[in-house]
Amino acid sequence: MRARRLAGLCLLGGIGVLGIGLAPVPSRAAEAFVTAQNSDTVDVVDLDARKVVATIPVPGAPAGIALSPDRSSVYVTAPEGKALVVIDAASRKVLRTVVIGGGPLGVGVNPVGGAVYVADWYAKRLWEVDPKTLAVAAEIPVGTSPSGIAVTPDGRFLLVADRDDDALSLVDAATRQRVAVIPVGTRPFGVTIDADGKRAYSANVGSNDVSVVDLAARREVGRVKVGERPYAVALAQGRAFVTDQYGGTVSTFDTATLAPGPRLDVGEYPEGIQASPDGRTLYVANWESNTLTVIDAATLTVTGQVKTSDGPRAFGQFLR
Amino acid sequence: MKRIIAAALVAAFAAAPAAQAHGPTRKKVEEKVTINAAPDKVWAVVGNFQDMSWLPPVEKTEGTGGNQVKATRTLTLKGGATVDEELYKYSAEQRSLSYRINKVDVKVLPVNNYSSTIKVEPADGGKASDVTWDGAFYRGYMNNDPPPELSDEAAIKAVKELYRSGLDNLKAKIEKGNS
Repeated sequence: MRARRLAGLCLLGGIGVLGIGLAPVPSRAAEAFVTAQNSDTVDVVDLDARKVVATIPVPGAPAGIALSPDRSSVYVTAPEGKALVVIDAASRKVLRTVVIGGGPLGVGVNPVGGAVYVADWYAKRLWEVDPKTLAVAAEIPVGTSPSGIAVTPDGRFLLVADRDDDALSLVDAATRQRVAVIPVGTRPFGVTIDADGKRAYSANVGSNDVSVVDLAARREVGRVKVGERPYAVALAQGRAFVTDQYGGTVSTFDTATLAPGPRLDVGEYPEGIQASPDGRTLYVANWESNTLTVIDAATLTVTGQVKTSDGPRAFGQFLR
Repeated sequence: MKRIIAAALVAAFAAAPAAQAHGPTRKKVEEKVTINAAPDKVWAVVGNFQDMSWLPPVEKTEGTGGNQVKATRTLTLKGGATVDEELYKYSAEQRSLSYRINKVDVKVLPVNNYSSTIKVEPADGGKASDVTWDGAFYRGYMNNDPPPELSDEAAIKAVKELYRSGLDNLKAKIEKGNS
């Protein structure tokens, strides 16, 4: 893996600056950037070696995380610092701490334009942050207690879980206007859009289920029971993987039939979850256990565990 | 602890707490005690969800569902305040149980969204027991910029004191029974 990435870098070197921003996305993730909220750090985990190789101090109880489209920058929310923190992924250093006020928690990045969207937990708004200047470019009105953010692969729409409205806001990225409010289960928190940009899945903390949303129809088309206090959803190999905070499990279901599959024991308080780009492996941050659990998507088994700093949350996209 | 009991007196007349929320910074507390008694003996006390008499401020435990998941109990504290709790995990084999608070006034315990795990593990080759009490919770004030009495620090302090008094009393009670 390491060798393959290095080879890719050499190739890029060969074609010079043209390669910048067009780096090929590896099929496997090489690193995980894990917000460790109770230790005020972000851990860098080498996923092949399965160990923490760097710990970056980030004051302010870091929680949400997202990567720039070229995966060179890592955006982290620090709710207690009321800030968006920008980390240079390669040098593993904090580049900027942008104090934006409020309660920044959920964060998402437009995969096409690179705009950074930050949800203000305490107000009915998102901030749109310009990735170049890191200035707040706009405020986007959404619902109550916005938490998870997902952006469609074409970059045209963003979806926000308005936790205390029991709904998702669909926002037109170009006009920055909310174009639809989609009722879902009780207290949606994490939200994930599939690779085709057709369906979205919200983890509903209050009703212990996942809402399946048709994005073209702009409505909920299915509801699947999962474990206690679902937090976030990842998608891989035709299945949804859902962290159950109180259950200490990852629930699975078939995304075509919505039939429930096995429920896997992970650590205590599993929260952030993401699939590697090739869909073979899932990574789960366990807030109480201070671990990152590795799941094999095909066999639906836990294949490893990485010790992390205190209170890993990794709420968002954290694989590089 | 005294402060919690005193607060409980006041709380008996206070309004119900606001709805639980899922704010951005949840805290952890962990306290431990080593008890000079076999794990089964300690678990016989700790593993009974329907009797919290070993926790000093508790005057009365009333509940339904025994030790089954979804069992509930209401703790009545000295002074009359109540705490409603629900069991959500129970393993006699692992000597571990997890419960959450469904309802408590922040004037009694300045926390929101509280859950907790107590487990008993063998120590000293099974002759003694390590009891670990873990808590996860948000502070009492779920909005930005809390008043001091509902801050993160206040929540952590209150839970730490509660666990410490409970574990120390548990140890004293069980070890006294040994002699």
